[in-house]
Amino acid sequence: MSQTQTEQPTRLLLVDDHPMVQGGLSACLSFYDDIEIVGMTHDGKDALEKALALKPDVILMDISMPSMNGIDATEIITDSLQDTKVLIFSMHDSPEFVTSSIQAGASGYILKDTTSEEVYYAVKAVAKGQTHFSSSIAKMLIDKPARDTSQKLTTREQLILTHVAQGKSSKEIARILNISFRTVEAHRRNMKSKLNIESLAELICYAVDHGLVEK
Amino acid sequence: MTLPFRLLFIAVLQVVLTSILTYFLVTDEYRDLSSQSVDTLESFLIEQKHRELQNYTLLAVSAMSDAYENSAIDDDEAKAQVTEIIHAMTYSGNDGYFFVYDGEGNGVVHPKEPYRVGQNWWELEGENGDKTIQILIENAKAGGGFHRYPWRKPSADEMSEKMGYSVYLEKWNWMIGTGVYLDDVNSQLNKLQREIDQHINKTKQIILVVAMSSIFVIFLLGLILNLSQKKKTDQKISELGLKIINMQEEERRHISRELHDGIVQVLVSIKYSLEATGLWLKKAKVDKPQPLDHAQSNLQDAISEIRRISHHLHPRILDELGLSAAMDALATEFSEQTGITVNVTKPAVRKLVQNSISTTLYRVVQESLINVQKHARASEVNIEMTIKDKWLTLTIKDNGQGFDADNNSKGDDYGIGLRNLAERVEYHLGEFSVHSSQAGTQVTARIPKTSYANTLPVKEGPAE
Repeated sequence: MSQTQTEQPTRLLLVDDHPMVQGGLSACLSFYDDIEIVGMTHDGKDALEKALALKPDVILMDISMPSMNGIDATEIITDSLQDTKVLIFSMHDSPEFVTSSIQAGASGYILKDTTSEEVYYAVKAVAKGQTHFSSSIAKMLIDKPARDTSQKLTTREQLILTHVAQGKSSKEIARILNISFRTVEAHRRNMKSKLNIESLAELICYAVDHGLVEK
Repeated sequence: MTLPFRLLFIAVLQVVLTSILTYFLVTDEYRDLSSQSVDTLESFLIEQKHRELQNYTLLAVSAMSDAYENSAIDDDEAKAQVTEIIHAMTYSGNDGYFFVYDGEGNGVVHPKEPYRVGQNWWELEGENGDKTIQILIENAKAGGGFHRYPWRKPSADEMSEKMGYSVYLEKWNWMIGTGVYLDDVNSQLNKLQREIDQHINKTKQIILVVAMSSIFVIFLLGLILNLSQKKKTDQKISELGLKIINMQEEERRHISRELHDGIVQVLVSIKYSLEATGLWLKKAKVDKPQPLDHAQSNLQDAISEIRRISHHLHPRILDELGLSAAMDALATEFSEQTGITVNVTKPAVRKLVQNSISTTLYRVVQESLINVQKHARASEVNIEMTIKDKWLTLTIKDNGQGFDADNNSKGDDYGIGLRNLAERVEYHLGEFSVHSSQAGTQVTARIPKTSYANTLPVKEGPAE
């Protein structure tokens, strides 16, 4: 996994709502030889397709985008591509965004107002399997830790819960979502533990109670 | 307001005019009818009296006919006999009697007023100047006739109107007459007149009652109309208010998005362009000029400032992460600013409700927290959101001093804020309530599942 500057460059996919930001950033990153920008896209759904097709090392992911936000896209991508790391690159600086991103499987979170140099270091760190957070983000997480979100379902888990409540088996869900059977099972286990629920019946009840499916 | 009032006025006016007109028409007609019936009754009664008098007179004449027919002109014996007979003849109790005068007006027989006998009454006048005895004699000479004149009524011993009938005994040059007193006729007529007057009075009262009740009904209807119109107007105003709030919220969201996703992104791109310039200069081994540094740091300030404005207009976290996360962020921010502890309890599911509802609930939390900061003097706030029994319930509870008692001066803006919130919650068919006591204030907003469940988005995976 480990890469040095003399080895193969890190393959990077840029996902950003705004083409001008993308342009500016790619201009900056072009000064670094060990980063190769393999693709760019402007929205979450397109990012999913590009990620599956290009299998980049790192995806620099914006959050606010039309059609699908970056956090939901991150969750789906990290479900499907084990070797692709996602680095959130956003204007949002609330701890809730950061924790939601971490829950969704992001390896790091940097703010758009950081320097391109930090973007470079963050991309390299994440590519090595480390995590990276902007210093202001890290400081904020220490100063005012996000409120307890560990019990909250992620968008992906909520979607799977909906399917479960509609009577679908893990196999079917895996086929629908184009992920492995084991991933679906892992999500289900995770949900049960978050909701403190033992049985499938209770899981379905919960989904009905909360209006996830029509009775 | 003015149109119903005018209609009301016209209706009342109409009723009043109709009543007055009806009153005059009816009473006029009634008086006409009544005077006709009084006249009819009078002439009937008088006719009856006439016949009565003629019959009595016939009776008297036939009673004395034996003595009279067989007598001579100056037969004093026969005259005395007839005088006695006539003197004795009475009817109808005390008041029916016969009297006799000779052709010159000398009294011959008068059983009730004996002093008249032997004296001359030729010039005797009634109140209206009629020469009573002369007329009676005239009538008698003409073959019998009636005359009305005032005379003393024996039974009552007072003057009363009398109807006299007289015939003439030619041979003796006598006028024999009798009369009835008309006071019973008059009293009957008066009674009838009274009855008619009473009837008119009654009619007047009925018309008055009908008119008053009509006016009352009109006023009642007007009042109801007015009230329902006011209610309608109020509803329209509140709908308009909500529309304005929704539009404002939408506008804020739009501007916030434009700022955050538009201008800020452009500025960020410029920032990277400037950085790229710096990197390019570095590569060309040229020192970075100072103005470039300034531009970069000023740009950073501009970005922060616009982001602050955008956040203030509409929290993007609400759109991106949903209500729970937005409440968390709000609570954290609030705690930081005020030092008041805020606990947040929320369900594990996310993004259940559509934007308009989550924005409304977010504003409920926001407004409640502002109120807590301004008025409550609380040390702790508990925000709880639960989904249970087909209701999404949000409560914000503080341990402060309550607000109703001491904060009258501040009550106004407090109240308006809460009322707006209530309307916004009710717009989503929800319920809103505020309970305040010395132990603190609790704001509760409830949204029925039916208001959001059917719009629930099921997000699709990449393969679909």
